[in-house]
Amino acid sequence: MATISVKNLSFSYPTEDGQKPLTLTNLSATFPSGGFSLLTGPSGSGKSTLMKIISGLYPKFGGLVTAGEVRLGDQKISEIPEQDRGQLVAMMFQNPNQQFAMDTVERELIFALENQCVPPAEMMPRVDRALDYVEISQLRHRQLNSLSGGEKQKVALAVIIAMKADTILLDEPFASVDPIARQLLLSKLAKLQHDEHKTILISDHDLEDYDQYIDHLFVLNGTGDSLKLLDKDAAERKMANFKRQDTSKQYLSLPAQTDHSIIEAHDLNLTAGTSTLLNQPNVSFFQHHITLLTGANGTGKSTLLLAISKLHPYQGTLLLNQKEIAKIRNKQLLQEVVLVFQDADQQFLNVTVTEELALSLKNSHTPEYFEKRLPDFLKQLQLADLQDHVVYTLSGGQKKKLQILEMLIMATPVMLFDEPFTGLDFSSLQTVMAIMKQVAQDCQQTMVIVSHQLFGLDALVDYHVKLENKHLQYVEGLA
Amino acid sequence: MNPSLKFLLAVLIALEISFTSVWTVNLALALMGLVIILFSRPKLKRLVLLFFVPLIPAIALAVAILLQSNAGMHFALVLFTRIYAYVFVGSAATLTTSISDLVMSLEQNAHVPSKFAYGFLGAFNLLPKIVSEVNIIRAAGNMRGQALHFWSPQLYFKAILASLDWSENLAEAITSHGFSEGAPRTYFKQIRVRWWDWLILFGSLAALQFVLFGLHLQ
Repeated sequence: MATISVKNLSFSYPTEDGQKPLTLTNLSATFPSGGFSLLTGPSGSGKSTLMKIISGLYPKFGGLVTAGEVRLGDQKISEIPEQDRGQLVAMMFQNPNQQFAMDTVERELIFALENQCVPPAEMMPRVDRALDYVEISQLRHRQLNSLSGGEKQKVALAVIIAMKADTILLDEPFASVDPIARQLLLSKLAKLQHDEHKTILISDHDLEDYDQYIDHLFVLNGTGDSLKLLDKDAAERKMANFKRQDTSKQYLSLPAQTDHSIIEAHDLNLTAGTSTLLNQPNVSFFQHHITLLTGANGTGKSTLLLAISKLHPYQGTLLLNQKEIAKIRNKQLLQEVVLVFQDADQQFLNVTVTEELALSLKNSHTPEYFEKRLPDFLKQLQLADLQDHVVYTLSGGQKKKLQILEMLIMATPVMLFDEPFTGLDFSSLQTVMAIMKQVAQDCQQTMVIVSHQLFGLDALVDYHVKLENKHLQYVEGLA
Repeated sequence: MNPSLKFLLAVLIALEISFTSVWTVNLALALMGLVIILFSRPKLKRLVLLFFVPLIPAIALAVAILLQSNAGMHFALVLFTRIYAYVFVGSAATLTTSISDLVMSLEQNAHVPSKFAYGFLGAFNLLPKIVSEVNIIRAAGNMRGQALHFWSPQLYFKAILASLDWSENLAEAITSHGFSEGAPRTYFKQIRVRWWDWLILFGSLAALQFVLFGLHLQ
């Protein structure tokens, strides 16, 4: 057990011209040993940076500590030898796709244990126990590439448990995890804290569901120069803002007979590897409406969007404007349908924010509409000052906002969104939704949105379709 | 057989038949390779490909020799069988070894630095992702009205950017899973070099010398 103490820490990502703008400025805080701490703050405030410094990954993999230090107990983190660090502190990353080196779940766990010089005879019991703890024994021999985001995060936690890390850091771990898996992960973490006295530090901008678990709430401000521990009252007030809006009593209408379908499926069959995800006799998405698509992790929501954009094969019939999608040429299809990817990086084609926006304006279906409104949109999304930034250096939330904006500018008739709201803080979320609604109305678009986060969605969406038991069905309830 | 020694043997055989011209030995090697391949129960499609893909360069070479040079039938036959010997001996080694076994053996037996071994393994596991990433980049281009062809620099720019990003994330990931360059590690699956591995290696090489030079002297 060890207290994490941050003392007068300043951190910078030096730029090419030799300047050292500070990302974090003179931060001090103590994360108590054996406690469950939550670190929050707006998108782009430097939460990930701070987590990576505490885990010892920075400055080894980037940036520069310009002042101050981080200690784990009484040891400076930078002085702990790398091979001993795994037992002291382990980290779960924001992007579930990029934290494994091996091909299967079991091999990844063994790899971590080999690194810690665990005697071979002890490995299997530790692997068994870790998988059992997170309730994923059935995933043991699965290829990591074939797992869903939520499943990957469970594997990441199993690795940390197998490594017996004393301090567990989680950097926005639930961005692509559905509420059920999220609850499971949180309760496992709480159990680790109570039974094994682990120190847990999670960073998240979304405070939903945390109140029953956490002991301390830390807030990092937007400019990265103040890190404060909130007292009990202030913490409760802050959490209350995020209380899961009771979506169970919100109702939407079902599609009307008069609605005109734009995407239609008949006997549609989608598979991933050897398992069937979707087996659907008939379903439609309706023109000029915004439809929400929900379902648990790994049920095939993203796969369905990929199939509609011809990025995943399907069996059966899938029609766009009465034409078989598989038979439409890529170029033509993607003038009619765009997919806003879950991973914003995949959307970008240029280097700077300005170039990205210019490309969209140039090829937009309605350039005049956006030319007029762009400065205002940029201001609302707090992107106006970032225009000469390289897109890949933006924070997770900023990337997401830019990505959604540049795809909206295209004004393509059908827009598919795969988890567009991950990584967005509360106020960004509301701005993004308002802009989406406005553009959809003004440009007469059809939208299909896959989202785990349901907060405020009743104002945005018209219909809700649920994917359950390999089947899509329109429902009235939002939750 | 031990994976590192198996690959060493395959390379040595290939080297040796590059400098000798006994078509019967080539044929025998190809047949032995085929028997080993068949024992690994490959898919029919792979087997058919193994037969037909080398056929193109093999025939091209043989025909070129027959028509363009005066080296004659014998040399054409040597080249033809040599290509099949390369392919079948090489496939016999690769099809009977998993990538992870090979990497573990290289690390444990050949003492390749673990950084290279796991870097290679990580990169290998990324291969299918690279293919799908290129499709996604092209789709992202089409969605924005920008067609990216296989000669578009932008396609490669994005692909390289994506791989740089992956490699950095991979490095961070293995570090956070306790991997440290040059630090001692234990091995769950110990890959040993046993006496019969050496016996197979030297025995096969000796037999090869015997038939090559034996046939030569006659």
